[in-house]
Amino acid sequence: MRKLCIAAVLTAILFAGQTFAGEKFRMAVVVKIGGIPWFNSMEEGINREAPKQNVDAWQIGPTSADPALQVRAIEDLIAQKVDVIGVVPNDLQVLEPVLKRARDAGIKVIVHEGPEQINKDWDFELVSVQYYGEEHIKRFAELIGKKGKYAVFVGSLTVPLHNAWADVAIEYQKKHYPEMELVADRFGVSESMDDTMRTANELLAKYPDLKGILTFGSQGPIGAGRAVMQRGKADDVVVFGAFSAGQGERLVKQGAIKGGFTWSPLVAGEVFIRIGRMLMDGTPIEDGMTIDGMGTVTVDKENRVILGQELESLDIDNIDRLVEMGL
Amino acid sequence: MHSKNSLLTKVPSLGLPALLLATLAFFAILMPGRFLSASTFESMAFQMPELGLLTLAMFLPFVSAGFNLAIIVTANLCSLLMAWMWVTFIPVDAGIALQLVWLVVALASGFVVATVIGTGIGAMVAYAGVHPTLTTLGVMTLIKGIGIAVTGGRPIRGMPPVIQYIGNGTVLGVPMPLIVFLLAAAFTALLLGKTQLGKNVYMAGSNINATYYSGVDTHKVLIAIYIYSSLMCVVAGLVMTARFNSANMGYGDSYLLLTVLAIIMGGADPNGGFGKVWGAVLALLVLQVISTGLNLYGVSPHISLAMWGIVLIFTLAIKYCNRRWYMPWAQRRQAINT
Repeated sequence: MRKLCIAAVLTAILFAGQTFAGEKFRMAVVVKIGGIPWFNSMEEGINREAPKQNVDAWQIGPTSADPALQVRAIEDLIAQKVDVIGVVPNDLQVLEPVLKRARDAGIKVIVHEGPEQINKDWDFELVSVQYYGEEHIKRFAELIGKKGKYAVFVGSLTVPLHNAWADVAIEYQKKHYPEMELVADRFGVSESMDDTMRTANELLAKYPDLKGILTFGSQGPIGAGRAVMQRGKADDVVVFGAFSAGQGERLVKQGAIKGGFTWSPLVAGEVFIRIGRMLMDGTPIEDGMTIDGMGTVTVDKENRVILGQELESLDIDNIDRLVEMGL
Repeated sequence: MHSKNSLLTKVPSLGLPALLLATLAFFAILMPGRFLSASTFESMAFQMPELGLLTLAMFLPFVSAGFNLAIIVTANLCSLLMAWMWVTFIPVDAGIALQLVWLVVALASGFVVATVIGTGIGAMVAYAGVHPTLTTLGVMTLIKGIGIAVTGGRPIRGMPPVIQYIGNGTVLGVPMPLIVFLLAAAFTALLLGKTQLGKNVYMAGSNINATYYSGVDTHKVLIAIYIYSSLMCVVAGLVMTARFNSANMGYGDSYLLLTVLAIIMGGADPNGGFGKVWGAVLALLVLQVISTGLNLYGVSPHISLAMWGIVLIFTLAIKYCNRRWYMPWAQRRQAINT
């Protein structure tokens, strides 16, 4: 009887799966470069989601980040008449002519991390600038108790994305946490660990009552985390921001880094397939709809960009999982 | 003596066409109906010319026992200059005639810059006696630095329609880049095969001192070689800019050593003095068939790259076996017959 039940349930699941997924189609995703952890993880997401959506999908990772190689890969995809091409562009301009040819050939084009690409059906971003900046300052404020002195690091003053995040975060703080105080202008140091450590040490010396450092830029949390460790202030000063999980794992476990947010390439891989399926089925993409892996999305119909709000937390509870993913 | 010579030239000539047919047949059987299609060949015809033109740029230095590491940066620098002229001086609504005029003017400017670069490299190699690899390594670094400093690493984008047509259009179904490449290859083959300069290039590659003492101004020959190489870079730059609709330092960086792979596979001697243009063209075809075939089959590009390496090693092995066993055997037989 039990066996029968299991069999029935399994059959039901199988059939449910089949009725859910539409007609099979072929889709290839061309990423910036093959063989690095970020895109290996994206490939895993693609391979995991493709059978569920009944898609014949694969990832192509060029042997170097030369944009010319992406053009070659896409040209071959046009030749084999795939139904959907996904791409994470190295260089938006270089891809325009070949993506135009792809679309002229009736192939649907999905772009990731390239909202300004012109020849595309849709671009998707797992997080918007606004959401990313706000989530960071909200969690950071909670950690320092919503009051006291803090400092902001960015990769460099000329990195547009980092500064856009910092703008959003500082703006949000001024509006919602008036008791928090930014001690100085933001520092453009967090692309170098040495610079970050030096600046963090100076700040810790100058402001003994500093409550936290919020950083954007991959070396920021690492450098600042080491500085607070060395001064034995890991419990008093909150270091928060995005970093590479493998690099920061130890500092998180020692309590020197309290966390941060990043997005997951694995989820991005899955989303590629899901949006491909929606395009092939003709599902309309609307503002406020929910896409698995992106949460409730904001849709910019004019520029054909889908913005999600799905983050991975780099805190102590989640870090092992991210390290395992190879991030 | 004559028959020995014809043996020397004819034996390797069978290898590459056979290899090309073999790879075509292999993929045709592997993917029946999917590989042998018009769209596959169109894809290959669009892809091959960039690497092909850069290979031609590397060809003359290589045959002369030299090397030109600066081909990619020369191509990019000249295309940046040309792209800047097109974007700056051609009005948006310009007619075809005006665009063609600027095409010619920009190409001419590109050629001037290339001539300066080529002369510089050639003079260093010829008069200062610096090894071409070192000279061009220096020039490559210099040009790359200048290019990135001037542009800040940003691309120049948005080419006028005539330029885009060169990169993406077709004439009677044949892609424009392929036409440009075949013309350039034919021209290079004629230059090497039918002119005095061509003979001097081969001779300089075999033994530059002997060539010098037999009354050839080898300094001039060397300079001419690097000027020609740089001019070919301008053509490669034109095709790249047209195909990508933009110019920037760094486009095509991965092609540099692939050009050498194609040339050696095409039967050129790494020590200089020997090598035919059509050999390199056939080798390029084989490489393209392998890469497109494996790509269609869904194999990782890293494996394609490894396959290219294997094919190169295989070709060299055959060449070695030829020289070690087949040639002496053929010569002995010849001697017995006569």
